[in-house]
Amino acid sequence: MTVTDPVATAPSHPFGAPRLLAGVAAHRALTWAEHRAVHGVPALRPRAWLLESLRAVNLLGRGGAAFPVAVKLEAMPLGGPMTVLVNGSEGEPASCKDRALMTVAPHLVIDGALVVTHALGATGATIAVHDHRAHAALAAALAERPDAAAVTLALTRAGFAGGEIRAVVNGLTTGLARPGGRRDLPHDRGLDGRPTFASNVETFAQIAVLARLGAAGYAETGTRDEPGTSLVTLVGDVVQAGVLEVANGTPLDALLPGRPGAPVLVGGFHGTWVRSTAGLTIDRAALRASGAPLGAGVIARPHPGTCVLAEVAAVSQWLAEESAGQCGPCFFGLPALAEDVRAFAAGQGSEAQLLRRASQVRGRGACAHPDGAVQFMTSALVALADDIEVHRAHGTCGRPPSSILAIPRRTS
Amino acid sequence: MTAIAVDWTRCDGHGLCARLLPEKIGLDEWGYPLVLDPEIEPHLVGAARRAAAACPALALRVR
Ligand code: SF4
Ligand code: SF4
Repeated sequence: MTVTDPVATAPSHPFGAPRLLAGVAAHRALTWAEHRAVHGVPALRPRAWLLESLRAVNLLGRGGAAFPVAVKLEAMPLGGPMTVLVNGSEGEPASCKDRALMTVAPHLVIDGALVVTHALGATGATIAVHDHRAHAALAAALAERPDAAAVTLALTRAGFAGGEIRAVVNGLTTGLARPGGRRDLPHDRGLDGRPTFASNVETFAQIAVLARLGAAGYAETGTRDEPGTSLVTLVGDVVQAGVLEVANGTPLDALLPGRPGAPVLVGGFHGTWVRSTAGLTIDRAALRASGAPLGAGVIARPHPGTCVLAEVAAVSQWLAEESAGQCGPCFFGLPALAEDVRAFAAGQGSEAQLLRRASQVRGRGACAHPDGAVQFMTSALVALADDIEVHRAHGTCGRPPSSILAIPRRTS
Repeated sequence: MTAIAVDWTRCDGHGLCARLLPEKIGLDEWGYPLVLDPEIEPHLVGAARRAAAACPALALRVR
């Protein structure tokens, strides 16, 4: 799947009627008129209404951490200068859903920014985006409408750790796109040092839909614990490669027909390899409880007859190089771990050493990168145990390397 | 309860803290501090503060 063909829209909707992607038929942005025909004008609501509704539908942030949006909104001060950051940096390399959303439904993202700006009484909103096509779609959309003067657009540099909200904040404020210490949280020190309500673009689009439908209407699809829909990026041997909007509660097996027991990566480059998706559904709390959080919504299954271990080694290498080099355990630990993974692919390797190093890296960085990278590597060790045995016995499995996860080219 | 934390963006892995507060801090295989237990009992608070003050990178925090 490529970014030039981001949205896979099925004519019928086996996974529930789309909301964020409602009315999207072609690979181009809905115009403002087309958007209004589907969604109307943004439903501006008071802060208390929005907070109550966010709580009622248990909206969880869509950037990957799945933090309750109501809690984030509640943490904002009740008055004074504050601002809103719409994070469209899409740090997860395997995810395309944010880019796709901004490219085909830019007005819905802008609506969400306006709804939050209004509810908070914020001075304005900034949409941070690094993809040029998404940037162009948003710029055109902003030029098309007279009600979005409070929304500005910022082109950011691509980068993995750079996609993290605190890194985006630092990037926009200081020009250095890397996370600060753990204690700089955007809701008290964000853009230009002001309290900032920051969340992912899909979160804002969901907020726009919620503001229009109200909690009861919003909860007509999805599950009781997590109403609504989710954007997912499906990669590799899947029902339909690309970005898909599915009702929450959709079984993973419906997205991954056939081949039960084949390795599946849930969550992307910071995700978890699993061997069985039986009983798993698109439900962030349940997936987290099962040990495989949905993250930014990537679900990937390598094609049959390929060497998954080789791909895991290649991605691990990239994850190691992606360390921003600020924090010692991440900077030294991830390359050591990637080397351990490579050894497994070469038919050697020590499980005990990898696990010991993993425990020395986990939780010991300023951002979530080392933890995510460790999760990717250690879960592969478990899920690919039989492949590792084959490699150990023969030095190789003889299959061509899997390469479903496009490893980003380094820009710096 | 007093607790210690390392700011990883600052720590240079000098390892001084592990020598000044061995009860709570070890070193990993790359020479960076491994906090064995962040909670500091009253009799170790003085040592913890000395370790934080000695850290050349101002990376060790006592709260
Ligand atoms: S944990 Fe790693 S990626 Fe994150 S800021 Fe520190 S060095 Fe950079
Ligand atoms: S003394 Fe400071 S810089 Fe040195 S290892 Fe300890 S925390 Fe890191």
